[in-house]
Amino acid sequence: MKHIAPLRRASVRTLLATGLVTGLALTAGCAKSEDSSGNDKASAQQEDPGQVVASPSGGSGPSCTIDSYGGSKVDLKSATVGFSQSEKEANPFRIAETASIKAEAQKRGVKLLTANAQSQFSKQISDVQDLIAKGADLLVIAPLNSDGWEPVLRTASAKHIPIVTIDRKINAAACKDYVSFIGSDFVEQGRRAADQMIEATGGKGEVAILLGAAGNNVTTERTKGFEDRIKEKAPGLKIVFRQTGDFAREKGQSVTENLIQSKPGIKGIYAENDEMGLGAVNALKGAGKKPGDVKIVTIDGTRNAVQGIVDGWIDGVIESNPRFGPLAFQTLDTFTQGQEVAQDIVIQDSSYTESNAKADLGKAY
Amino acid sequence: MLTVTGLCKSFPGVRALSDVDFAARAGEVHALVGENGAGKSTLIKVLTGVYQPDAGEVTYNGTPVRFATPLQAQQAGISTIYQEVNLVPLMSVARNLLLGREPRSRLRLIDFRRMHREAEETLRSLGIRVDVRRPLRELGVGAQQMVALARAVAVDARVVIMDEPTSSLEPREVSTLFEVIRTLRERGIAVVYVSHRMEELYEICDAVTVLRDGTVVHTGRLADLDRLHLVSLMLGREIGEVRREGLTKFAGSHDAAAEPVLQAQRLTARHRLHDVSLSLRPGEVVGLGGLLGSGRSETARAIAGALPVDSGRVVVAGAPVRAGSTPAAIRAGISLLPEDRKTEGIVPGLSVRENIALAALPGLSRFGLVDDARIDRIVDTFMKRLRIKASSPHQKVGELSGGNQQKVLLARWLALHPKVLLLDEPTRGIDVGAKAEVQALVDELADEGLAVLLISSDTEELIEGSDRVVVLKDGAVVRELTGDAVTEDELMRAIADVPEGGPHG
Amino acid sequence: MADVSLARVTVDRDRALRLLQNYGVYGGVMVLLVFNFAFTAHFASAENFRTQAVQVAPVLIVALGMALAIGTEGVDLSVGSVMALSTSLLSLYLGYGPWIATLIAVVGGILVGAANGALIAFVGVQPIVATLALMVGARGLALVLLPQLKDVRNPGMAALGSGDVLGIPYLVLIAAALALLVAFVVKRSTFGRRLLAIGDSRPAARLAGLPVRRVLIVVYVCSGALAAVAGVLATARLTASDPTSLGTLMELSAITAVVVGGTPLSGGRVRIGGTVAGAVLIQLLTTTLIKHDLPPSWTQIAQAVVIVGAVYAARERGKR
Repeated sequence: MKHIAPLRRASVRTLLATGLVTGLALTAGCAKSEDSSGNDKASAQQEDPGQVVASPSGGSGPSCTIDSYGGSKVDLKSATVGFSQSEKEANPFRIAETASIKAEAQKRGVKLLTANAQSQFSKQISDVQDLIAKGADLLVIAPLNSDGWEPVLRTASAKHIPIVTIDRKINAAACKDYVSFIGSDFVEQGRRAADQMIEATGGKGEVAILLGAAGNNVTTERTKGFEDRIKEKAPGLKIVFRQTGDFAREKGQSVTENLIQSKPGIKGIYAENDEMGLGAVNALKGAGKKPGDVKIVTIDGTRNAVQGIVDGWIDGVIESNPRFGPLAFQTLDTFTQGQEVAQDIVIQDSSYTESNAKADLGKAY
Repeated sequence: MLTVTGLCKSFPGVRALSDVDFAARAGEVHALVGENGAGKSTLIKVLTGVYQPDAGEVTYNGTPVRFATPLQAQQAGISTIYQEVNLVPLMSVARNLLLGREPRSRLRLIDFRRMHREAEETLRSLGIRVDVRRPLRELGVGAQQMVALARAVAVDARVVIMDEPTSSLEPREVSTLFEVIRTLRERGIAVVYVSHRMEELYEICDAVTVLRDGTVVHTGRLADLDRLHLVSLMLGREIGEVRREGLTKFAGSHDAAAEPVLQAQRLTARHRLHDVSLSLRPGEVVGLGGLLGSGRSETARAIAGALPVDSGRVVVAGAPVRAGSTPAAIRAGISLLPEDRKTEGIVPGLSVRENIALAALPGLSRFGLVDDARIDRIVDTFMKRLRIKASSPHQKVGELSGGNQQKVLLARWLALHPKVLLLDEPTRGIDVGAKAEVQALVDELADEGLAVLLISSDTEELIEGSDRVVVLKDGAVVRELTGDAVTEDELMRAIADVPEGGPHG
Repeated sequence: MADVSLARVTVDRDRALRLLQNYGVYGGVMVLLVFNFAFTAHFASAENFRTQAVQVAPVLIVALGMALAIGTEGVDLSVGSVMALSTSLLSLYLGYGPWIATLIAVVGGILVGAANGALIAFVGVQPIVATLALMVGARGLALVLLPQLKDVRNPGMAALGSGDVLGIPYLVLIAAALALLVAFVVKRSTFGRRLLAIGDSRPAARLAGLPVRRVLIVVYVCSGALAAVAGVLATARLTASDPTSLGTLMELSAITAVVVGGTPLSGGRVRIGGTVAGAVLIQLLTTTLIKHDLPPSWTQIAQAVVIVGAVYAARERGKR
């Protein structure tokens, strides 16, 4: 019988612990990733292009003034603004959003307090309460959820602190619980994507949709806008395939691989976010297709997708603008000076096509 | 108070109880004794509604009853205290005591003040002093059992059944427990007390019923029955019965070498073993005698490294074996055939072949790959030598008969060429033919120079198979029978704690 | 499949059930293949089979490790997170070249596996709890190392993801080689025998002197290493490291493949062939529904039906 040196409990534990620690130290100490030039996210923020309101009137629907909201006029320059971000800055959208707020605060010389809820709603609630306690006179909130804001709103309204929410709405009374909501119109994004698809395909043939995560309002609205516009403007385009890619590149790739095999004649793919669109590009490359064989239109406007236009694989990208900074501060400024602001402000989303992609690559986030 | 008459209960293939009469009377502590498989637990389960009797009648307070569920029995006033206390360890003593009947305030909320007061009163009346606000799990096992008892009394139990209540108690806790039991008796409660500890039985019990093989072999006042007689009733052996040769297949004595190959020195494990020492010489079969729960299996497991010991050591061929490690014991040449063959012995889903080769695998492989040709040879040898009956070496062991499973296990160990073989109930639950074969095999192995430790509840097998018998009681060695003293009489005397050569029953 | 077994039920129900347990998964694969040949346009093409094989490869590799863990009556929930960790490490160390980066990624998987194994074997934590802890921890670590998706432009990795030998993609070759290796280890090595004995009866294995702890640790180390390899391959295929979404719900896909393949959750048996077929079955099912453009919720319902069917077939086996 073979004799095996007995594994002593203690020594094994020590060994494992040492191994784990060394492993961590290694990863932290001498990592050397691929050369990442041209992919530097930070540089992109230097040339923040600012922001335009979509509707010329400076907003839509009912408006709000400081008199109807309660509270008194403040000079924005001497005020403290609190910003509560919902998710970790781990994707381009959130990174650009936070950077835009910070840049605008710096530009205007406003004191800014920030907090990040790391995708935990309870943390966001306490974050905002902290911001108020720390002396924020005005609040910009990127809400994680639409509901459950009562405790914060109560504290804020007791102190007459104006609140602007960005990218997501909260379920409360505008101009009473909060001042304005600034965000994108997802249905409109879908419509504009349809326009680009019609232009790219010439309005004829079969197209596919890579849906976002099921049960998400972004998914439903972007789908609705796209489908309605296709029906209305280009009855020659048939949507023959609707499968979810869960907003992820990997899923977009594998679904597209199946799509191009079962429907070799597909003319276009509408991906409801850039990541799935990039997955679709991967799939087309893998299947030996050439750039332009299948038209791809995506939504978001990340750097990678715009680069895809430059490379010829993607035909159009509708931006979902994350740069809320200028508009948010402008709204607060106008409001605190006593003038009226709209309760719903739709941010202007630009778009990228072959004609402007190369020039505007620096604008993409 | 609670009587049964003509009770019968069968399970597929086994008649667990046949025509059993039993009566628990108010204000009496009634001992229920018997060896493994005698039918004690089946009887208790019928009394408490876990099982339904096949025939016979249960009478409670003079009226025939039939408990469909344990809950019904409990509601009727029959409480059972198990070894493992079935209370809620995280709740306070008071909560446990009054669980389900907590005093409520006007708002239907628990009235904690009143609950604590009531709990304290209940416990004090039984002579138990504990802080009722503490969580139950912080109490010792004994105190927990006391609370369980108090709860049984508090729910107006008329019959309390206690299954080996003292097995994990300290002596001090035992005496407190007995105080409580006496209080119960004075209150006119019928207590059924199951235990194997002679001293306890004689200290606390008034009446006794002895079960053996599913039938009542004796019932009456305990004081009228001396210890030796009680042991003989339990084991089913008459005192002074003429020793009949050749009933078992053991040949008897072996020529043992002088130097012991295995020495167990002062093995101690809390609540289980106290200073157990024994030695085995090559070519010798040493029996381990004693009643159920006397520490026989524990001794074997401690030697094999399967039971952690608090102190003591095992020496094989002069070299100490690392304690508490089965692989170390196996490398030293100690092999244990466990008592519970089905869950601890065989690997039911693997084939006969894999089971035999399991322990010897490192020696039967090269570079971590199994050498199938060598395994086939060894498996073939042992299947022939032990006459293992299987459709093929690839049949699953779980499908074999008990006797053949046991032989497969023996083959597994023999393939390792051990120095010491510990056999815990090697013939239990196997048919007569296989039993004889296994017995003959043990003899043969001893003749070949193996040191064998034999545990058997079958006294006859133990006496005839062993050259010496070490008798255990309550986890300690009480006597060693050698030479002419290796007889059933002496074994029973040793167990009953009657001096050697003392008076017959 | 259904017709064949139905006919036999009347003859010999037990026999039919055993057949269903052992070969049901292969039957399921056949049924789906036949259905697709008949009703799915452009299914019978080499290109399509290539795609299916490439898509199933990472799941399959993870399922191999999962089969080992389940064989010891355990489970490894951390596999998806190990894939994420692996892709993070890969991206972080790609500057040293693809080989060294891959090596480090696999070492990361091995460390997580060792931590799993140590918790289970030495501390005595239940596998489901221990690996759940590492599932959360490894994902967190992956996101700390690489907070967001990062493109992989290394030509070596790109070749690994899309290259082939004689028309067979590298990914498929690697998955096949690993499946054969694991099958060989289970069948022929002492480790494999011990693993099965431990899974079948832990007390018996312990009393037989088997090195239970060591075997358990090695099992989880293998599972971690295989998951890390799957993570590297998935990264190569995607040409991007995406620790935020790579491997999410992978543990469920892997468990499904193993269970559908006929490996009982009660341990003591490991069916590598069945696991491969199980992974293929789920892949074909998903593909069939996608190709016919049925709503995604149908895929989930169909998967549930298959799992319930597999568990039903395994039910009798549990009563051994």
